[in-house]
Amino acid sequence: MSEAAQDVLIGQLERELAYYRRECNDLGARLLRLQEEQSQTFREARRSRTVVKLTREAYRLADGDHPPDEIGVPMLEIIIENALCDGAALLQVEPDGETFRVTHAIGAGAEGPRHPVTIPSPPEFFFTTARTPMEPLAYGLTGILRLPYILWAHDRHAGRALILGNRSESNVSRPFEAGDQEFIEAALSVYIDLMLRKETQFALRGAMAAAERASAARARFLATLTHELRTPLNAIIGYSEMMVPGSRYDPAPADRGRYMELILEAAQYLLKLSDGILDYSYLEQALPSLAPEWLPAEEMLVGTAALVSGEGRSRGVVLRAAPIAEGLELCIDPLRFRQVLHNLLGNAVKFTGAGGLVEVMAETTPDGGAAVIVRDSGVGMQPQDIPRALEPFQQLDPSASRSFGGAGLGLPIARRLVEAHGGELLLESVPGQGTTATIRLPPSRVRLKQD
Amino acid sequence: MIGVAYAKHSDPAAAVRACAVALGSGRPQLLLAFCGGKHDPGALRAALRDVFGPAPVYGGSAAGCIGRGGFGYSGFELGLVAFHDPGTTPEVVVTRGLLEDERAAGAAMGREVSGIAGPGDVVLLLFDSVAVAAPLRLHPASSIVAGFHAGFGDRPVCLLGGGLLTDMNLSGGWVFDGDEVVKHAAVALVFPPCIRAETAVMHGCRPVSTFMEITRIDGAEVYELDGKPALSVIERMLGLPLGGARGQELTLVATLGEKQGDPYAPFDENAYVNRLILHANPETGSVTLFEKDFARGTRVQIMSRDNGLMLDSVRRGVAEVNRAIARTRPLLGLYIDCAGRGSSRSGAPVEEAELVRRTLDPAVPLLGFYSGVEIAPFAAGRSRPLDWTGVLTVLRRA
Repeated sequence: MSEAAQDVLIGQLERELAYYRRECNDLGARLLRLQEEQSQTFREARRSRTVVKLTREAYRLADGDHPPDEIGVPMLEIIIENALCDGAALLQVEPDGETFRVTHAIGAGAEGPRHPVTIPSPPEFFFTTARTPMEPLAYGLTGILRLPYILWAHDRHAGRALILGNRSESNVSRPFEAGDQEFIEAALSVYIDLMLRKETQFALRGAMAAAERASAARARFLATLTHELRTPLNAIIGYSEMMVPGSRYDPAPADRGRYMELILEAAQYLLKLSDGILDYSYLEQALPSLAPEWLPAEEMLVGTAALVSGEGRSRGVVLRAAPIAEGLELCIDPLRFRQVLHNLLGNAVKFTGAGGLVEVMAETTPDGGAAVIVRDSGVGMQPQDIPRALEPFQQLDPSASRSFGGAGLGLPIARRLVEAHGGELLLESVPGQGTTATIRLPPSRVRLKQD
Repeated sequence: MIGVAYAKHSDPAAAVRACAVALGSGRPQLLLAFCGGKHDPGALRAALRDVFGPAPVYGGSAAGCIGRGGFGYSGFELGLVAFHDPGTTPEVVVTRGLLEDERAAGAAMGREVSGIAGPGDVVLLLFDSVAVAAPLRLHPASSIVAGFHAGFGDRPVCLLGGGLLTDMNLSGGWVFDGDEVVKHAAVALVFPPCIRAETAVMHGCRPVSTFMEITRIDGAEVYELDGKPALSVIERMLGLPLGGARGQELTLVATLGEKQGDPYAPFDENAYVNRLILHANPETGSVTLFEKDFARGTRVQIMSRDNGLMLDSVRRGVAEVNRAIARTRPLLGLYIDCAGRGSSRSGAPVEEAELVRRTLDPAVPLLGFYSGVEIAPFAAGRSRPLDWTGVLTVLRRA
């Protein structure tokens, strides 16, 4: 081949090489872009699937044994796993609608102090990017996790909010955008739904446990009642049989008199027991028919104390009514409230030894209500026994009923009647030092009559 | 005996307890721990001490973990390897000198390891990948590994390893050095001679350009390709400008690959050393690579990540390892997986870690972590740091 022909061939080969290089690079560039578009499509599809995945994973928490206030952290773990963000927090809104308190937080920003944050007119959805101006709203929201890039959702009705945060905008922590609204609102909705479910679930469990406790208490009561009825009945029948004509015992006249007294005592106890049971049984019917009226507190307290004072004297217990604010009137059902006071004062006298003191007083409270207090210096009780003492059909100590009498229904009846007046009955007690029973009445049932 | 455990919980103590339950009774001689980057490392180290007593703990942060029971990169994962048998427990060499000079620290470590390791022994090298978070500067694996080889000498060694990260955004990294949590450190676990490794390196990049010569470079910063500004060459290929924040997106899109051996041999993914692009620098027209082991005159190609190729590569690699360990006594499967291969970042339709979990011989106890860089024997020669790879190693009795 001639030199000229070789030059031509080399020139052609060089052009051909340049052509193939150009084509290779062009096709490569196309391939690269197609590959990137495909990756981008998959990443977008992954984001769409994320909502579904989050929902599916979060609802598994419903099957777990987490109490309502403990699902926050596992929920945030699922959110962070799916959103691939640096930090996240759940917030609860205070009643003013603008103060937010972080209830749960994990990841970046979770370690700092959790002061309540005020967000005036909090938006339902918000996000920040590198281009977001630092206006008060953005400043307030980015301050929650102290992260510059945040995604926020707030459910006004449920009073809950969710915030996600990133330290940077990069290829993984891509900038937040309006399209993220679906994700964050779905996450918040699922959380709220789970919370409500859990609350219902735990309330039902609580109710079931209470019903089981009540059922057990009724069973115990029946056993107690049987015992309480049999003991005096045995005494009545036994002493009567000894005195019946033709009895082989033929007691002496002095013994007969003593036996008659014991029969009378047993019968009176039976009557008292029956009254208590009837009272409690009719309580449900009686409560709706309360007939409250404004009465001077002093009249009610002093009058009831006088009724109990005889028993107090017989036991050697001093019963004292403290001075009461002039003009203090209570809106109460006279019959039922007297029953409450009678029960409390009767208990106080019964459980206070000779030489002890029982005081009754009434005073206004800072909220505008009133407190009627019965305080004794009696035997008292253990703090853990107080809730049981307020429950019906409970006997703290079976020997107590024998020593002090009664079926243990006085306090439960008093509590129900106080609650029917919109108030509450509180007990404080120290063993060996005494018990204080406080009736708290709401402001609507208290007034100071001006002459 | 070597036990593995994986757990995920935002409370580090709970994660440790869950792993302890999975590991069962017995006090390990040594623990290798990979800890999600959202955990407080101090709290996690304290929890490990509470549960496992004075056993030394090596390892460090991970962008995520991979276990038989699950995997993830939320930052709350914890992966543990517990060495109970002194006969399989590695000896450990630690350096804290990366900040001063990565190569010198690697060389010192190599010298110390050479006094322990026999020919062909397995060495697992783990190091803190992030030198400075802002502005981002990495501890280059290429310097550490080059130093290691220089210090170790010419004897053969099976060097494996990975760079430790707290997350996929390269926000930070830290190391468990036996007792404490430290920065700028590297640990080398030297396994006894009775242990050998079967390793597959899984890739996922394909060349999309002709060969180009690096005509100007300074460390990890490539200024020119074929005499033109490197960034404009890459922008032309991508058909989009990469200035500003989008510069970081390059990490998701392309790498620069150096083909080993005959440049005109048919495509073989195992012939390429890929370098991820850390960021683009519009003001200088340059791009910064993850490593600084390319030089003026190095012929490179622009490589496109190919998710299909990546998944095929995983299938092939796992099958290869399964064949290699058949009729052997496997002790531990370790998967060192580039964090960028997770589907949230790569956009792959299937998590490649899931493929590894599903297809690796179920008799192999498996633990993996998402890393910043992977180190593995390359092209039947010395180990090199690699980008965008999954390194699957099964340790077995010799």
